[in-house]
Amino acid sequence: MAKGDFDRREFLKSGAIAVGALAIIGTGASYLDKAPMGTQLTQDFLRPPGAISEIKFMYGCIKCGLCVQICPVDAIKLAGIHEGLSYGTPYIDVRNQACDFSCDALQCVETCPTAVLEFDQFRDAGTAAVEKASKEPDVDLSKVNPFEVQKVAMKKAVKMGKAHVNKSTCLAYNREGFKGISRGLDFDGILRAPDSKYAYATPLKDQEFDREICNLCVTECPIGETAIIFAQGRRSGKLHPRVLEGCTGCGVCVMVCPTSKPSIVVEPIKS
Amino acid sequence: MFDILRSGKHKTALKPKPLSQMPHTELGMDYKVWCDSHKGTHKWRNIRWSVLIFMNLLFVISFVFDLSILEGSLSGSRLIGFYLMDPYNALQLLAISSTTGYVVMLTMNFWIGVITILLFWFLLGGRSYCSWMCPYHLLSEWAEKLHNYLIKKKKIKEHIFQRSLRYVFWVGFLLLALLTQNLVFEDLNMVGIISRAMIYGPGLLLLWVLAVLLFEIVYSKRFWCRYVCPIGTTWSMVGKLSPLAVKFDLDKCGFCRDCQAVCLVPHELWFVQRGKATQEVHYAGADCTRCGLCIDTCAGNALTYTIKGWGTIL
Repeated sequence: MAKGDFDRREFLKSGAIAVGALAIIGTGASYLDKAPMGTQLTQDFLRPPGAISEIKFMYGCIKCGLCVQICPVDAIKLAGIHEGLSYGTPYIDVRNQACDFSCDALQCVETCPTAVLEFDQFRDAGTAAVEKASKEPDVDLSKVNPFEVQKVAMKKAVKMGKAHVNKSTCLAYNREGFKGISRGLDFDGILRAPDSKYAYATPLKDQEFDREICNLCVTECPIGETAIIFAQGRRSGKLHPRVLEGCTGCGVCVMVCPTSKPSIVVEPIKS
Repeated sequence: MFDILRSGKHKTALKPKPLSQMPHTELGMDYKVWCDSHKGTHKWRNIRWSVLIFMNLLFVISFVFDLSILEGSLSGSRLIGFYLMDPYNALQLLAISSTTGYVVMLTMNFWIGVITILLFWFLLGGRSYCSWMCPYHLLSEWAEKLHNYLIKKKKIKEHIFQRSLRYVFWVGFLLLALLTQNLVFEDLNMVGIISRAMIYGPGLLLLWVLAVLLFEIVYSKRFWCRYVCPIGTTWSMVGKLSPLAVKFDLDKCGFCRDCQAVCLVPHELWFVQRGKATQEVHYAGADCTRCGLCIDTCAGNALTYTIKGWGTIL
């Protein structure tokens, strides 16, 4: 037998093993990543701002972790294999650390090289808002800060999910107030509240609240009154939080909610 | 015209030099003593390990202390704000995205990253990425030492496969990516897994790395790097014409073949065997990782780092 024949046979043999291995890997991977498609994202696992549809996200995300790195509040984590998401893809567990927009410019989106966190939509929203502001009648243009306008518009264009209030456990629905540290002294989450005097996020445990009727989700919301309001119920006349269309799903309300199981949860957008 | 692509193996071999012209006779030394005269030299290995560890630590340090030096991981990173992309990752992504139309969405930073890294490692030798940057390579180097020890003690047998298996995997993983619309290889990628584990904290997938390392120790030497890793294969394609290479001078060689014994890709040093060289000067081929182990061990300094064509440029 010539040496070439032997080589060829060996190659075919090991090549067949390789192809077999690839087939098994492929089946496994498509089972792991495709089968639960759309059901992977839960209230605990949101994609970072600007995430495109889950199917595209799966092949577009190269798992580099640049978004993890740039997030000033460390809200973004990379998934392990046991978390039910595709390995290495970024997620936000809002109960532990929500996205509080304290980077002010959606830096995770800007840093993403493959645009699975897609910046175009925010750039367009920002530009449109600046244009609109400049055309407003009776506005002293010298007093308008376009960066501020752009920043706010970009923030508002985020759509990670939408919050839902659980009426049975919500303190406000039960006419209860809240006094103290919302998540206890063991909680490490940080937040830049709308009324914060700092330019950066500070530990949530450093702040003590005292509310006659609990409204933390409303007052701490970084988006404000387009996202959540403290409104009177039509029939009962009682004050309770109401989530509006402007909710971005950032999850700050979930993080600050003082009940042991959060009474407000973010339902991820599944497109 | 394509001579530059060929190793010279196709030519007829030169006549081996007589004993009187061998380096050890010229120095008046005993052959065995001469061969061992550079044993224990680890200059390039130490430099390389330092660079490898330093670069990987730089990722960790940048993350832990929030510095903008080297952010991201080996799958994709930013060096002082300048993007760098893993080429095989990019290839998989391009394969899928060009069929789905997503390719237009990719950012300028992505393209800059891909082109920069290709240029960078082209200049530095392609697979030099493996030995100077890849964290798995270092683990594998240690695993190889253990493997060699076990072989020497006759505890295990060596199993050698066809090197061209790499191309099966290279094409295979690309096809898999296309078929499953998912970056499948990234779930198995030693480089990415270890890099991410170091920077963002360890995960369960490290067990897979351990399994492959164990396989390499007890069954087949450097199995992953030699027969599977498509990243290394990509780099060897990039390094085919690379100017940085290991140069071999026939007249300084004593044919002891110590270099082949330490080499991670011994087939690239085919010319060191007595009577094999076809030219006075040879360059190690594209699979060479430019690790410098052969340079350290060579008693006659017949092997050196060189920049091809540097002489003509000067």
